[in-house]
Amino acid sequence: MPRIMTIWLPRWPVQRRLLEKPRLRRVPVFVCRRERRGLMTVVAWAWAAPPRGNHESGPGQKRSNPVAKIPEGMSLTEGMAVLALAHGSRACHIAEVDHDDPQADRMALEELARYCRRFAPIVALEDVDRPECLHVDVSGTAGFFGGEGALARMAVWTLASRGIHARAAIADTPAAAWAAVHHTDLLHRAPACTAGRSPLPRHWRWAVVAKGESFEALAGLPAAALRLGDDVLAQLRDVGIDSIGGIARLPRKSLASRFDPRLSLRIAQLTGERAEPLAPPRSDELPTASHAFDMPILLRDTTADDLVSLVERLVGECVAPLAGRGRGVLALQVRLERSQGADPRAACMATANIAPLVIDVGLFQPSTNVKHLADLVRLRMERMRMPSEIEGVAVDVVAIGETACRQQTLFESLPGEAAASPSAHELGMLFDRLSGRLGRGAVCAPQLVADAQPEHAWAPTAPVARPAARPAARRAAPRMAAPKAPGWVACERRPLWMLPRPVLVEAVSVAPDGPPSRFRHGSEIHEIAKAHGPERIETAWWRGPTVRRDYYVVETKTGARYWLFRRLRGGEWFLHGMFG
Amino acid sequence: MVTCGPLSAAQFSAARLHSGEVVSSGFEPLDRLIPAGGVRRGSLLEWLGDGEASGAMAVACAVACRLSGSLNDEGATAAPTVVVVDRQGRFYPPAVMGWLANVASSVSKEPQLVVARASSADDEAWAIDQALRCRGVAAVLACPQSIQPTTMRRWQLAARGSQAVGLFVRPQAAGGQQASRRQPTWAEARIAVSPLPGESLAVRRLRLTLVGGPWAGEASVEGRAVEIGIDLSRGCGLSRGGQPHGHEAGGIRMFRPHAVPAAEAVACRAS
Repeated sequence: MPRIMTIWLPRWPVQRRLLEKPRLRRVPVFVCRRERRGLMTVVAWAWAAPPRGNHESGPGQKRSNPVAKIPEGMSLTEGMAVLALAHGSRACHIAEVDHDDPQADRMALEELARYCRRFAPIVALEDVDRPECLHVDVSGTAGFFGGEGALARMAVWTLASRGIHARAAIADTPAAAWAAVHHTDLLHRAPACTAGRSPLPRHWRWAVVAKGESFEALAGLPAAALRLGDDVLAQLRDVGIDSIGGIARLPRKSLASRFDPRLSLRIAQLTGERAEPLAPPRSDELPTASHAFDMPILLRDTTADDLVSLVERLVGECVAPLAGRGRGVLALQVRLERSQGADPRAACMATANIAPLVIDVGLFQPSTNVKHLADLVRLRMERMRMPSEIEGVAVDVVAIGETACRQQTLFESLPGEAAASPSAHELGMLFDRLSGRLGRGAVCAPQLVADAQPEHAWAPTAPVARPAARPAARRAAPRMAAPKAPGWVACERRPLWMLPRPVLVEAVSVAPDGPPSRFRHGSEIHEIAKAHGPERIETAWWRGPTVRRDYYVVETKTGARYWLFRRLRGGEWFLHGMFG
Repeated sequence: MVTCGPLSAAQFSAARLHSGEVVSSGFEPLDRLIPAGGVRRGSLLEWLGDGEASGAMAVACAVACRLSGSLNDEGATAAPTVVVVDRQGRFYPPAVMGWLANVASSVSKEPQLVVARASSADDEAWAIDQALRCRGVAAVLACPQSIQPTTMRRWQLAARGSQAVGLFVRPQAAGGQQASRRQPTWAEARIAVSPLPGESLAVRRLRLTLVGGPWAGEASVEGRAVEIGIDLSRGCGLSRGGQPHGHEAGGIRMFRPHAVPAAEAVACRAS
């Protein structure tokens, strides 16, 4: 019997935007569709980090305010009103509204489907206009991951490590898995399934429905879990049926005559009587290459260069067809297929993890440079614990992009262009290499954010290899004042070093509520010669307790400069930064 | 191309400035302090400071911003990217982004600040090396706690190939009494930075003392010290009108400080 894992990505249109612009995680995001007469209706909305309550609900835990419920199809105006009622008018002011783009959502989901090939080779999108689910055929592959429960958990946490909120469920059919994944929180009461629990209490993210027990396990779920339309659900409500179990108790032969034929179809798909084939996206099939060894090889008997040269050959096979189309690789996966049984650790553990080791490589700009790609794989391999032996290597291109091709000049070129092109290319390769070894989140180009709280005054963004050229009109006036970006503050008021957390210091001030005259940091006592300030910052009430601080730039008698603040609630002094 | 003829040291430095190989640091006294007459592309500079509030990072950042806006021989922006390798995770970009915006108003490309956070000393050294090898980078700013001579030599060769400038801020007294000063260096200049009382919030006064580096034997420059003022609102040197003390602030005063013994000077010439 086949086994299907369905991965649900709730509110995918919003999640896609959060992945593209991480700074949006701090604000409410609305994705809206423009209807007739200019009416904007909500397609999806989310607030990744809603404000937290000021009161403690338990040791070390803060209770979250209830998030506003804004259903799909509500007008944007009404949605804003609901948001303001739940979180205050400030939430509406900072909200980000974006236009709906179903095509881009689908393309991003297809890219994610390719990424999910790490769990099984066949991954398909659900067959609807606006898909939010991926169906993965895990028949016979769950054992590699230590069982179905472990596989579902791994899928959820692997996506979570990329910043994607997902739920996963495994069942006999796509319909059963779809129903289960949308109600994982209800399934833990059912005896025929086992549900996993995330570290957050009362928050269920994955579930496994036992083989052949779909109907029994899903009987308690609402009828909407069968993917029925509102009209069919209304028909069922009229006769007092609101759950899958209620439908199961009706005679199957009478369903077609009494209700819409779609109900019979969904029941047949749930039980597996009607096949629901999975169709992987083939519109722009991306190249893959693999190599299987005649027999498993021990990695300790081979050098890293041998393995990398094999990867380089496989990457070359993938890149060649792309280069001809003017495309380059943006992300690729290298899978090292572990050997079964020969691993000494596998022999000891019955549920050993013999899933392929997956090496993900992401680039900041599309590349067709095979050596560069192989080098990035090598950098990742140096930081990973390699399996003792492998029986094959596979390379999958996960994402591609247009390469910036330009005609090369033989002798001379326009002033300024000759040097810029190779350096931009090298810059892109540098970012790839840095992020390959240090981690993708460790390399960023800071961007100012209009937030008064210093800790949130900048946000990391992806660096660009080709810095934007400035308009000639602005170049012509070199003495003009520098443009002030949102969130711009006077540089002399901000330190070059900022402590991750303000450090409590002992300070003495002559006048009450006045600047400090000396402070002690560690064992050192600093006598203050001058103090500039205060710069009062009162903000961030929507993030929790209001930040209320009086900042001072103080200069000691030796000339060293520090950034101190007094917390207005309590009057304690903190050291927050040093001026380089 | 640098041409060596019967020129005085000042003319020689001026010639190199004109050729584009050496660019101004943005601080006239600092240019005169550095033996090359400015910041030589493809070289390393060390800044020694006591603590994180000494001003060493401020002057290094100002020089890096200046380099991101410097032009090449063809009149285009050579490399508008500044890479900061931050191991402590304390670097606060908003303090510098205004300085870059100030540079941006006069160049053809938007300068870009890139922060790379390294989690270990090995990663930090590797990231510096990689950044220095890239031709698109104007300057690499880092605060390595200790540098092996072989590592620094590798950085020097990497910088020479790409024409990037490495600016390393180091603690002056790490590992013993002024241990950093005694270590041999491959840097073009090793400059000790000590803060001076400033007049206003926007002006930072610093004393810069040349304490090491290959001095090339052009002149007896050991122990030279200058005072500079940084306009913290723009990240550049003070204009003539902004100097409260007239000529004194930018003057070079020659002296032989007791902190730089002869043996140390020999060690510094190892490169």
